[in-house]
Amino acid sequence: MDSNKLTDWFRLDNSGKIFPEVSNQRETNTFRVQVALTEEVDPEILQMAAMGILERYPMFKVRLKHGFFWNYLDHNAKPFHISPMTHEVCSAINPRENNCYLFKVFYRGKTIAIEMFHSLSDGGGVVMLLQSLVYEYLKLKGYPISPDNIIKTKLERPVQEEYEDANEKYYNAKNRKHVPEKRAYLIKGTYLPDNNTGLISGILSTKEMLDLVRSKGLTMTEYFSALMMYTIYTTQIRYRTHLLSNQAPVKVFVPVNLRKHFPSETLRNFSNFVKTNLVMTRDDITLEELFELVHEQFQQGMTKEELIRKMSENVAFEKNVMLRFMPYFIKRYALKIGYNMLGMKLNTTSMTNIGKIVFPESMDNYIEDVTAAVYAGKYNCVNCSILSYKDRLKITFTRSILETNIEREFFRHFTNLGMKVEIESNFVEEFI
Amino acid sequence: MKRCDKCNIVIETKQQYCPLCHQVLTGETDEDFKEVYPEYVSLRRMVLPTTKKALMFLTLISILILGTINWLYFDGRYWSLIPIGAIAYFWFMLRIGILSKRNIAGRLGLATIFMIVFLILIDYSEYNVHNGWSTNYLMPLLLMSCNLAISMIMWIKRLNYRDYIFYLLVIIIFSIVPLILAATKVLTVAWPSIASFGVAIFILLFIVFFFPKSIREEIKKRFHA
Repeated sequence: MDSNKLTDWFRLDNSGKIFPEVSNQRETNTFRVQVALTEEVDPEILQMAAMGILERYPMFKVRLKHGFFWNYLDHNAKPFHISPMTHEVCSAINPRENNCYLFKVFYRGKTIAIEMFHSLSDGGGVVMLLQSLVYEYLKLKGYPISPDNIIKTKLERPVQEEYEDANEKYYNAKNRKHVPEKRAYLIKGTYLPDNNTGLISGILSTKEMLDLVRSKGLTMTEYFSALMMYTIYTTQIRYRTHLLSNQAPVKVFVPVNLRKHFPSETLRNFSNFVKTNLVMTRDDITLEELFELVHEQFQQGMTKEELIRKMSENVAFEKNVMLRFMPYFIKRYALKIGYNMLGMKLNTTSMTNIGKIVFPESMDNYIEDVTAAVYAGKYNCVNCSILSYKDRLKITFTRSILETNIEREFFRHFTNLGMKVEIESNFVEEFI
Repeated sequence: MKRCDKCNIVIETKQQYCPLCHQVLTGETDEDFKEVYPEYVSLRRMVLPTTKKALMFLTLISILILGTINWLYFDGRYWSLIPIGAIAYFWFMLRIGILSKRNIAGRLGLATIFMIVFLILIDYSEYNVHNGWSTNYLMPLLLMSCNLAISMIMWIKRLNYRDYIFYLLVIIIFSIVPLILAATKVLTVAWPSIASFGVAIFILLFIVFFFPKSIREEIKKRFHA
């Protein structure tokens, strides 16, 4: 046990509590962030870097254990091992493998990737971990780099704020009204066998894209969400609006990193969401009108009151006395049933914008590319994650279905505007 | 760099088709280029080994035959429960006792409890001659030996004793069951239950006196609401 903290175990945070119960081979609730360096990765040095950096992040050096009322994260004394990358993207993290760690570090060629289970942290946390890992790796390689207060190095001590459950901190019991939601339209397609995930990334120029979205008076997330809705509309719904399944609203789920809205240093889950919502039963919906709609819906969804309401709604659920003191072996079924009834089918797709990734200037020479990906499951068949690093805006689609027409139309929108798009793919369709 | 003139995109790959529209790509890629993502290798195909399949098949057939014979020639005794229980115990020991990666204290605890259930089953399926040997002697004595075994393991493998404390606590709580049964005169012989409970209390007091912090931490961890 570390001397600088009082305990060596952590309660799961509010959103982390639900994931262990509702995750399986198909709905894995994992996500990946990967970095491509300018040179081949040396596995032995990476292993050393990973072991070194875990001492800095006690929050991630944990395993999941069952308590009588809730699961919790307990200190994991076993060593952490990195592994070569397999074809699987965001596959389920089996706690029995890998010494019970809830995340994995992969290497392949020039790439270092971290895949993490959502109970542990969200995108914000994993980016911090990856930055530290890459820093440590490059430092061990002997390159002259400095952390510049951007990166947490293994020489610093963890601070208590990194462990806090910030949802609970900003919880407001008076502002927690539950707003019932309608089921969303679900993308149709042919599932890939063996829970495989297809991955297609498009690389665009950040500068060109910023010029484009600013000329429309939107943010990047708004632009992409509207475009995503439009793509789903043109490929799946238009001229078939009479079908019963097409009467459901198309909802693009956009996670919001609350660290940017509320002061918090936490490494754990601290995100909420906004959603677009439109029943697309007209044959003449245009992209321009979607821009307006999405802009308006996001502005409404991003107000402080609304964010706190959504946060408090979740925390109130956890604080419910009935649920709280229900023994865990009963509670897990309650959570499962509740999530199946409420949570699963409320989104058509999710679109994560991690934002701008910043490395210290001294490290920029060694880093070529950064990619993020989220899992695609049974209901959210096509998901998208976006990040930008220097002038590379990387839009990554993951899919659990064979069809790629959503990706195709999405990227063709930009090529039709005359922008240059470079594609990367894991070519899952070539191997099945 | 290859390109797809239909989608108007460029791509660096050795594959021949555009991932978006599956049309043939034009252009050449660098010979040394290595794909960013690895090739598909089937990893998760679940094929059971033939021995395991055969054993499972045999198990199922035996259970069906035993059940049928017992039912056809029924004389008031459910004797088929004994061999069926034995088969179940075999699978249980294989799965949880030997192949499981659970920690040793947990395995011991589970194996003990299952053993007790199995023995009570044998005892009670002979309804004529039932004299309560399983509940009178075996239940308390098995719990006692389990208690001692876990304590010994904790004593020897000092490193991770905090992991075992929880299982020890569970077994100690279970040791109260025979005592209650003895007190309510369900059991005819009281001394094994009392001895078992005595050992449990001894171990508990020992931990409370010598490792008060670990036990407090462990209880806090396991029972936070």
